[in-house]
Amino acid sequence: MSTPAGSLGRRQFLAASAGAALAATALPGCAASVDDGSGDGGTKGGSKTITVMSTEDDKKVLQAAGKGMGLKVNFVALDPTKLNAMLAAKNPPDLVRGLGATDTAYFAARGLMTDLDPYFAKSSLLKVSDLDPVNDVWRFDGKKQGAGPRYGMAKDYSQDQMFWYRTDMLEAAKLDMPSETEPLSYDEWLDMGKQLTKRRLGKVKVYGMNASGLGTFTQLMGMTVSAGGNLFAEDLASVDFSSPEAQKALKWYLEYARADIGPNVANPNPDGWDWPTYQAGRMAMAEDGYWFGGAIGADPKVSEVSRFAPAPQLGSNRVSPCFGATGFWIPKAAKNKDGAWKFFEEYFGGKPAEERAAGGWGIPSLKSLRPKMPQSTAFQKQAFKVQEQELEHFSVLTFTPYAQLAALDGVINKVLPKAIKGKTSAGKVADELNQLMNDQIAKGKELVG
Amino acid sequence: MSTGQLTDQAAGTGTAPSSPSRPPAGTTRRPPSLRTRRARAFYVFTVPWVLGFVALTAFPLGYALWLSFTNADGLSQNSRFVGLDNYREVFTDPETMDSLWRTGVFTAITVPLTIAAGLLLAVLVNQPIRARGVFRTLLYLPAVVPPVGAALTFKLIFDRDSGSANGVLDIAGINGINWLVDPYARWVLIVLTMWAVGNGMIISLAGLQDIPRELGEAARVDGASPWQSFTRITLPLLSPVIFFQVVTGIIGSLQSFMPLLIALDPTPRGVTAVPESNYFYMINVFAEYFANGRYGYASALLWVLFAIICVVTFVIFKLSKGAVFYSVEPEQAKPKARTIGGVR
Repeated sequence: MSTPAGSLGRRQFLAASAGAALAATALPGCAASVDDGSGDGGTKGGSKTITVMSTEDDKKVLQAAGKGMGLKVNFVALDPTKLNAMLAAKNPPDLVRGLGATDTAYFAARGLMTDLDPYFAKSSLLKVSDLDPVNDVWRFDGKKQGAGPRYGMAKDYSQDQMFWYRTDMLEAAKLDMPSETEPLSYDEWLDMGKQLTKRRLGKVKVYGMNASGLGTFTQLMGMTVSAGGNLFAEDLASVDFSSPEAQKALKWYLEYARADIGPNVANPNPDGWDWPTYQAGRMAMAEDGYWFGGAIGADPKVSEVSRFAPAPQLGSNRVSPCFGATGFWIPKAAKNKDGAWKFFEEYFGGKPAEERAAGGWGIPSLKSLRPKMPQSTAFQKQAFKVQEQELEHFSVLTFTPYAQLAALDGVINKVLPKAIKGKTSAGKVADELNQLMNDQIAKGKELVG
Repeated sequence: MSTGQLTDQAAGTGTAPSSPSRPPAGTTRRPPSLRTRRARAFYVFTVPWVLGFVALTAFPLGYALWLSFTNADGLSQNSRFVGLDNYREVFTDPETMDSLWRTGVFTAITVPLTIAAGLLLAVLVNQPIRARGVFRTLLYLPAVVPPVGAALTFKLIFDRDSGSANGVLDIAGINGINWLVDPYARWVLIVLTMWAVGNGMIISLAGLQDIPRELGEAARVDGASPWQSFTRITLPLLSPVIFFQVVTGIIGSLQSFMPLLIALDPTPRGVTAVPESNYFYMINVFAEYFANGRYGYASALLWVLFAIICVVTFVIFKLSKGAVFYSVEPEQAKPKARTIGGVR
């Protein structure tokens, strides 16, 4: 087909489109090469809308809280992949839910979090003196957690290696109830788990225990510290599973998994979390912190037979860490930081915080709210008492800024199942874990500098 | 200008207009030619697609290509250009090579199985039997179930401690099997993939119904057995449909995310918990992107997969020559000249 001079033929049109496409593909390259990361994170003057990324079950609470403050909450369901994409596109939510214990170092080291110290200094609702020490997991000074600027705040927290047990099942197995003050050793706890497990034809009908806590890496991390060691090197740039303390933790975990008495990396819990299994009487002891009491409290029958115990210890260094400290942080590139802070203040220091404290889903992150923790039933009284005593042993364990917890748990998921089935020695497992994890961490360190 | 004048002008007998650039008042513009109208329609219909292609395909592809030459983690400001390092790593990383191998084996098993099963079912429900429509519906129904729902159901069925699969074994006094972990996890995944065999059945059924009945009848008259009739007439005539399923099946299988569905935890942490035998190439890509934060390397993985798919598709097309029979050779098919009422 001939084309009149000056007009665009179809082939030329398609060629021009292809050219435009190529040009478009070249643009991000140029953009990436000149990006200095100095996003101003400017605020939308007087904007009444904030974007909050959180879990679906939080949606109504967050929107109601926003309404009370005259803010419209644009809710985005929590999705780590989406968050990464939004951060990469420099268009993050104004407020993001996260795990203070393991997220802070990673995001702060990459300059993605807003330093909240100036906000706290001006706040009338949130006084630094009233903050529970757990909020220190949201601080990072470039080398360790617990010091430096405050990047977020926990909404509530638990000491995640404590455990709940069902008295009816322990009684049926003729086992003594664990002490409310003295921790069990991990070996004692394992023995109890073995005795409480019930099987039939290769199937576990009742799990004796769950020692997976909030993840296998953090579990091993806490156990190693309790044995007097540390998984991370001082500069947080490597892990060492070969130390005697880490080996002890690893051996214990391998024995637990090989005994097949509870969910583990080779045989995860099909329910996804402990509550349905525990509620159905298919798990006798669940390593979950105080927060689990929120679920137990909603079921009177299970409440009656549930009690709380201190975190077992692997050695003489008694620690009871928190691996979550779930809360919120404001990204540096957030568009409406003032609105986000307004919400933050109310959510952590106002009525929503009081309601959360009374709900029993965690220890409040403000000291002044602690008396509001539920203490009406026998199980709640016992849990409160045990928890109060355990707080003495709370400690902040620093997590590396060079890798995400998912990456390190990913290595464990890759290495441990084979070791559990293949009877590999703890020493060989340690070597493999060291190699793969340190490789990950080194790549991250190169980027953080 | 009177109507008479206009008629004269149109007939080429009127006087020339006073201004060559402007038609005389009262005249109507010539309607655009068919060619112009077709060109306009072409632009109107293609522009939205081209815009979508640039924004949603070319841009992400180009961005991923750029990332594949860096060590970016998507978040840090210190990423740098690393040249072909990521591509070299793809071919030396045992994790990646293993995942590619597993994906290839899975593809080699599931694609032929799915097509064969779909064809078999299509042949069955193409028979003149009573309640044929009911059978067709029942066999197609599983394909309508969303993959996530099917995966959840499978997870419940094959759970070691409370699943019905082990419940059946229990009744027979046989030890329960841990289906959802290695080495059984891959077989559960294959069965889950076969679950949607109704899709293949519908495509094959459409192909079967397009085969003229007279051909089968003529073969029968000539003394061909049903098997001969199927292999010598039905299969060759169905070969374009089977070829289509092979190509799309292989591409879909190489990009499979099914293991993540059965894990039902599509998070960076969940993806790393996929059993090793189901740790496919795309699972590895997802883990490198979002668990390990290696955007550069993961982007290189995607470009390598793109290249692999192009090569595989090219090879399949080459191999298909002589095995796929078209009633009209695609490259020789020319549009017929437009005629009206049979007259040019």
